[in-house]
Amino acid sequence: MNQTIVSYLESVLKFEFSPVVVALVFLVAIVVVIGALATIGGLGTYAERKISADLQARQGPNRVGPYGILQFLADGVKMIMKEDIVPRNADKMIFAIAPALCLMGVLGSLAVVPFSSGFILTDLNIGVLYLLGVSSLVGVGIFLGGYASNSKWSLLGGMRGASQIISYEIPVTITIIGIVIIAGGLSFKTFIQGQTGLPHGWYIFHNPFTFIAFFVYFIGALAETNRAPFDLPEAESELVSGYHTEYSGMRFAFFALAEYIEVFVVCGVAVAIFLGGYLVPFALGGETIWGQLLQLGSFFTKTFLLYYVVIWVRWTLPRLRVDQVMTLCWKYLTPIALFNLLGIAVWIWAFDGSSIFDLLTSSSGSSSH
Amino acid sequence: MFLDLLFLISAALTILGTLLVVFSKNLLHACVYLLASFIGVAGLYVTLGADFIAAIQLVVYAGGVVILMLFAIMLTGGNSGPEKLKSFALGFAPEMGNSKTYTLAFLSAGVFSSIVGYLIFSTVGNVSEKSLQPFVSTVETLGKKLITEHVLVFEISSVLLLGALVGAAIIARPNKSNL
Repeated sequence: MNQTIVSYLESVLKFEFSPVVVALVFLVAIVVVIGALATIGGLGTYAERKISADLQARQGPNRVGPYGILQFLADGVKMIMKEDIVPRNADKMIFAIAPALCLMGVLGSLAVVPFSSGFILTDLNIGVLYLLGVSSLVGVGIFLGGYASNSKWSLLGGMRGASQIISYEIPVTITIIGIVIIAGGLSFKTFIQGQTGLPHGWYIFHNPFTFIAFFVYFIGALAETNRAPFDLPEAESELVSGYHTEYSGMRFAFFALAEYIEVFVVCGVAVAIFLGGYLVPFALGGETIWGQLLQLGSFFTKTFLLYYVVIWVRWTLPRLRVDQVMTLCWKYLTPIALFNLLGIAVWIWAFDGSSIFDLLTSSSGSSSH
Repeated sequence: MFLDLLFLISAALTILGTLLVVFSKNLLHACVYLLASFIGVAGLYVTLGADFIAAIQLVVYAGGVVILMLFAIMLTGGNSGPEKLKSFALGFAPEMGNSKTYTLAFLSAGVFSSIVGYLIFSTVGNVSEKSLQPFVSTVETLGKKLITEHVLVFEISSVLLLGALVGAAIIARPNKSNL
């Protein structure tokens, strides 16, 4: 296993760590990542309201703190103070486990998200597969949450959620396999090192198929995180609020937090595999600590831009019907993803792995001779 | 140290999960315990250095098979007595185990454990203690072997899966004459 923060700190501090110190460094890094991501998830709820208010020409939260930015803390306090209600006929054990499963899946996937070249919890050589596997726990959590609540709305929401998540995993996975073919590895560092800081080397512009693949991935990711226009599992107008209808207090907050962190993770993965990840143009800052900070800035800027797009889409597009969601997945996205996979493989075989930018520059260079 | 700790945790998770699966009264709870057991097995694969199998264990079993089982339990239902009709779905979860299932499970467990025991005890005497091999990624080796040496098996299993998919589509297709 590749202990990335530890090896980075060792190379910077020129100091050999003992196993206890390694464990401590990991512990601190994990606390930092989970704390930061919980804050991002909380701020996500604020951003969601503020952007939706902006799109609907409203004010949005503006009472707690400057521009209402502390609204998420007030919400958190409210959630903790709320009474924790468990329905009498619910399956109590599964009812308690389900939100924890959701949050566990999402937090587990944070282990491989590449924040910068030095700050990645662990650079697993099967990073993407691990991420897909761990995040599929969210589907189990949603389904169990809906099932254990023992209410019609929850049950329908949980069923929709589970079927939607396992369906959309297929185009998303096939799309990622296409990028795996180009990069020649499954770890996030392999993906990012195959790209450049400037957009011409990003995998989204590698060839026409990856350009389509990015949008297939993005649509699939929206559906996997149950975001509108695919928020069927919690469709307010049909199912009250779907699989978390019966949940209150912190248990509901776990579901909400898991959703917002998962959106961040999904956007981060999109950035890492399509948009150059943490790479900075011209490798500014180099290997120093400033370089790391610039890389963090690059990663978070791109990810938050995608996060904005996700919220923007949610408040712009109307919700699909159940059969339309399934039709989109099985009759459109999956065939397109398969076609893309074939196209990428043929492209790699025909042009020996060079991107469209390489081909353009080399042809113009040879014609000028 | 980390590997020992990981092994202990995953082994405990696997064994505890499996025991709870066998002894729980509720089929739905058994499914959740099975999920813990699957995750423990994935941890065991990681301690053996089989990274790819561990990830596939998570993707296929923890993500896919458990949801499939939950769907199957929910949709097929079980012994729904009149007093259970009040609960919309949970009451349909069948009880675990009657004499028939216990007999069958005991027989199959006996056969399987005797095979595994034979394999283990034949090697247990003549294994010399070795230090752990340096970690090598198994993904590339597996991929190359699947496409070159074992391509026939690979293709046959994919045809099998395709057949299952087509069969499911045919069964689920609405009957045109009844529309």
